[in-house]
Amino acid sequence: MIMIANLPPGLIMILGALVLPFVARRLQAYGVLALSVISLGLFLLTPAGEHGNIALFNTTLNMVRIDSLSRIFGIVFHIAAIVSSIYALHVRDPRQHIAALVYAGGAIGACCAGDLITLFVFWELTALSSVFLIWASDSERSYRSGMRYLIIQVASGVLLLSGAIIHYVQSGSLAFDSFVVEGQPLGLAATLILLALGIKCAFPLLHNWLQDSYPEATATGTVFLSAFTTKLAVYSLIRGFAGLDLLIPIGCAMTLFPIVFAVIENDLRRVLAYSLNNQLGFMVVGVGIGTELAINGTVAHAFCHIIYKSLLFMSMGAVLYRVGTTKATELGGLHKSMPWTTLFCIIGAGAISGFPLLSGFISKSMIISAAAEQHQFWVWIVLLIASAGVMEHSGIKIPFFAFFSHDSGKRVEEAPWNMLTAMAIAAFFCVGLGIAYPLLYRMLPYTVDYHPYTVTHVVTQMQLLLFALLAFVVLMKSGLYPAEQRSTNLDTDWIYRRLLPACIRGLRTVYDVVNDAFRSDMVVIVHGIMDFTRSTFNERGILGRTWSSSTMTLWATLLLAVCLLLYYL
Amino acid sequence: MNASKHKSKQVSDPPSWFERPRNINAMIAGLVIVCGLLVVADLFYTNPHPHFDIETSFGFQAWFGFVSFVVIVFLGRILRMIVGRKEDYYDR
Repeated sequence: MIMIANLPPGLIMILGALVLPFVARRLQAYGVLALSVISLGLFLLTPAGEHGNIALFNTTLNMVRIDSLSRIFGIVFHIAAIVSSIYALHVRDPRQHIAALVYAGGAIGACCAGDLITLFVFWELTALSSVFLIWASDSERSYRSGMRYLIIQVASGVLLLSGAIIHYVQSGSLAFDSFVVEGQPLGLAATLILLALGIKCAFPLLHNWLQDSYPEATATGTVFLSAFTTKLAVYSLIRGFAGLDLLIPIGCAMTLFPIVFAVIENDLRRVLAYSLNNQLGFMVVGVGIGTELAINGTVAHAFCHIIYKSLLFMSMGAVLYRVGTTKATELGGLHKSMPWTTLFCIIGAGAISGFPLLSGFISKSMIISAAAEQHQFWVWIVLLIASAGVMEHSGIKIPFFAFFSHDSGKRVEEAPWNMLTAMAIAAFFCVGLGIAYPLLYRMLPYTVDYHPYTVTHVVTQMQLLLFALLAFVVLMKSGLYPAEQRSTNLDTDWIYRRLLPACIRGLRTVYDVVNDAFRSDMVVIVHGIMDFTRSTFNERGILGRTWSSSTMTLWATLLLAVCLLLYYL
Repeated sequence: MNASKHKSKQVSDPPSWFERPRNINAMIAGLVIVCGLLVVADLFYTNPHPHFDIETSFGFQAWFGFVSFVVIVFLGRILRMIVGRKEDYYDR
């Protein structure tokens, strides 16, 4: 056991992925599941503490650090891997299975990394493997989107590595600990690392890779994607930047702007991507507040979020698998043909909205309470608005437009058994965590003294949610709710998909015009200069011909005279 | 428009429980009643740990949830005017 403890958790999944191509195709999916389960078993047996120290150059790398924080993230990552692999059991595509295994294993390894270099290695591994889940859609759109995704993810890795190197040069340590020092601004190294995490965590303006790429991945691929990358960033923020005040306004912005985009987005998987962004905002606020309650809330929320967000993406994945699209304009009335998927989707929607007895209720409220306890009135108000927003896009819009609304007339089969099983497990966790919340609270990094089921909390939360629902009914009945519309909504990706290429094209045009207009004139001028030089410097030219010594003496004498004059003047 | 086109194709398909107008109205009525009860419930308990004055005001989270929702939806309508483009915008 000691020897195994020294190997990074998740390594068995990464190594197993190398064997997978040599296994029969119909068994590959089961191989993913088996390896995930075995990995979870080994992870639970790994004792807490620091293992796998390697001396390298003048420093020590700490490959495995199991403490209360990495333990809970490791567990939920394993759960996500297992549930997602059950969901993908019907897939016969080796690329996706290998990518998913390496990706999940990489994320698990990364959240147990004790130093920045190990973190970087796994960080890049997740980026490189996950892009294949997007490319596996085999369309021009997914190829381009995957390329953008890859460039941005690798850029994040480069920033992380740069930060790590500078940090090492300045402090002589590569340990991944808190970069926040009370009363001091962040140094260059910490800023670079924060930026790297900010990209992965989809901070405002750095967020758009998420909405761009997740809806382009395969039905099963998006479920994997939704679980790991961004939550790995949240984990890293907790580890490195807990209590950094700057994160509070960033997180507030993150909770707000995606909900407005989600209102008008037609592709329901993209709505979920915006919703994911909004949920990350809650976590970033929690990290920024940084009190014990806030950190507990953030960890609990990440835990619950991974599960209910997977559930929502799984339900939309099932719709995509059966109907071929997740555009709201083409869906509706699916509850008749996919009743189980409908039920599971509603449970996920209830969990993300934070209905009592479901998982979101017991985790999100910890973050909101933490803001209130710090007397951050405006943060508290923003989080309440954001909660109403979550009800809008994920609580109502997703289930309503996919499964109810006006009947699209599409009659399809219910999702395959393995998809339903995976959704049932996730739904079970959503309800289970909402009721048996002490089980989750016990795993949190700090001792918990928080009771979600108070009369005040249940009543006020129900007020917020049901009056939001009432507002929806009123707006629908009065025709004020914006109709679903086929459209592309511009976001920051417009900058690099349209603006920058347009600027580059503009520069080219300017270059071409200048080139056409002046090139021949310039050639004439250059030729003139060269002719002049040639004639001046050849053996008969004024500067090239041989001079007689008497002329030289005369000129030298004259120069000397001028120098003397200048000296005495 | 889309819906009616499809409906005409499948006349034989009876509306499900969720599609019958009577049931929809009953659900809405139920929602209104529950909302009313939730506001009234405010009279029967006191918040043991209020952090802000506004928290203890009558029916605060009820009207706040309603107003937030409406504002978000209207902001969405405005945003659509600014950022909405044709579906094939990036493909052209």
